[in-house]
Amino acid sequence: MTNPQTPEQTPDNPEHHPRTMFGARRQHEAAELAAAEEMIVSRSFWADARRRFVKNRMAMIGCFFVVLIFLFAAFGGVFAQYNIEEIDWSLLGKVETEGGPNLTNGHWFGVDELGRDLYARVVQGTRVSLLVGFVAGITSVMIGSIFGAIAGYYGGRTDQFIMAAYNITLSIPYIIFFVVWQAFFGRSVTQMVLVMILINWTAGLLITRGQVMTLKNREFVDAARMLGLSDLKIIARHILPNMLWVIVIYTSITIPDAIMMESLVSFLGVGIQEPQTSWGALISEGASTMTYGTLWQLMFPALFFAVNQISLYYIGDGLRDALDPKER
Amino acid sequence: MLQYTFRRTLAVLPTIICLIVICFFLMRLAPGGPFTSERPLPPAIMANVLERYGLDQPLHVQLWTYLKNIFFHFDFGPSFSQRDRDVNDIIAAGFPVTLTYGFWSAVFVLALGIPLGIIAALRQNSLWDYIMTGFAIFSQIFPNFVLAPLMVLTFTLAWGLLPGGGWNGGQWEYVIMPAVALGTSYLANVARITRSSLLEVLGAPYIRTARAKGLAERTILWRHALKPTLLPVISYMSPVFVYMITGSVFIDVFFSTGGIGQSFIDAAYTRDYSVILGLAILYSVLTFVLNLGVDLAYAAIDPKVRSGLK
Repeated sequence: MTNPQTPEQTPDNPEHHPRTMFGARRQHEAAELAAAEEMIVSRSFWADARRRFVKNRMAMIGCFFVVLIFLFAAFGGVFAQYNIEEIDWSLLGKVETEGGPNLTNGHWFGVDELGRDLYARVVQGTRVSLLVGFVAGITSVMIGSIFGAIAGYYGGRTDQFIMAAYNITLSIPYIIFFVVWQAFFGRSVTQMVLVMILINWTAGLLITRGQVMTLKNREFVDAARMLGLSDLKIIARHILPNMLWVIVIYTSITIPDAIMMESLVSFLGVGIQEPQTSWGALISEGASTMTYGTLWQLMFPALFFAVNQISLYYIGDGLRDALDPKER
Repeated sequence: MLQYTFRRTLAVLPTIICLIVICFFLMRLAPGGPFTSERPLPPAIMANVLERYGLDQPLHVQLWTYLKNIFFHFDFGPSFSQRDRDVNDIIAAGFPVTLTYGFWSAVFVLALGIPLGIIAALRQNSLWDYIMTGFAIFSQIFPNFVLAPLMVLTFTLAWGLLPGGGWNGGQWEYVIMPAVALGTSYLANVARITRSSLLEVLGAPYIRTARAKGLAERTILWRHALKPTLLPVISYMSPVFVYMITGSVFIDVFFSTGGIGQSFIDAAYTRDYSVILGLAILYSVLTFVLNLGVDLAYAAIDPKVRSGLK
């Protein structure tokens, strides 16, 4: 567990040795040698998990698409011929007929209802959605697991208090809270991330709490305590590494949830403020104009959203398969 | 059982009061208000307006009056932006609409989700099972705000079968799409839960006993397996019911059904504090009540919980 290894260093499984190249005796020896080597340099938990993850085809395809979408968000702007606010006056009034995706005039994805370049806007929307989703998702899980660890480790009053806060948070309808917050404190990306963390801070809390509760009674924690380590050090050095897998799995579930939440709120029109945009806002605009036959305005953002969510779903699935001991 | 009900109900009250107080102060702390506009009102008129709505009084007095009106007169106060209406009117106009499609959506989720789950469990690894799993993944990836436009695209624009929005007094054609769009993702979850729960129950020793004594599969399913199968489904129903109500925010905006969700979003735009507050309270109270109801139903059905309460 303490020294993670790269797959190159790990000896191959004995079964995978080519059998035809060796005679029966040598093959036997080779297998024995491999087994012995494996005993010396045992695979760490993380190397093992990485192996399983890399073997999961759907998860790898998911990773590929997510990387593509990230590249699109990072460098897609370079290829945009217009900026997100610029109105193409030459197309105004005939968006329906001539505003579609077009390679000659530089509107790769067509233009939106107001004649703004949709490609530039999708790049911008992808940036906002990914930023909000990843930042809010990761931070929420971190906060949730810290509180979960505290609740599980100390128990008693502290636990009761945190669990009460947990239950109250869960019983507040989040859409309502979100709308109220945005109405009061303005609609910026920062406020959005903030309110999502406030709503989602419980992510992963219950499961880390349970993990810590079982881990804290194990011998190695007793030993650490006998050596006089402080609570903080015990949690950070001895308990946290042993439940990191739970946190990783939970993060992978929370990020698409956060992206979805952001999109839903933007869809309602109380999310990100114009001229900035996000997937949800773009889908909403596209949905409101689809009656006029300008379908590309709905399809491009919806496609990005769907591909991203499918990919993240399979990545999360692959991580769970790779990391969860129950799945093995 | 009675004691449990009583205790749970009592525990809800302080939470709701807490929530009202927090919302109230959040609202007053936020900069700007329903009367701040680009052209500021003359001070004398502003003072009159504030007095009319009781906003000139100290905060704690305002809070006290607000709470008193809610609990003793069931009055949520006047709307700040719609001069001739108060919050009660807005709720009275929109809430029946929300309840109607929320109810049908819940019916849709249960009436389809449970049988689908049962079929998938009985024919494990069959085509049905795969279709259902695919549907479950699909509904997670296409949340209702993506699904609803696609539905309108198909059923209204392409085939012209159903109206793409509006309410028209709740005629059935107008209810279908909101109810379905609201329920789809939960339908998939209910089916999934039913499936795994039934599979677990069917593996239990008492089902083997029932088979061993020669009962027909149908009797085993209906008499012995169904009730324990539904327990996890029931406990899952509380978030579903809650969502059937809060989801109205999205449904009303997209389908223009005219439920309370639309008023809520409008109020958020115009900073109509009393409407936001009133509706937020309504949503929260409904959430608590529905959660309580589901918990009680669960307690009434599950013998383990029931005996534990005595």
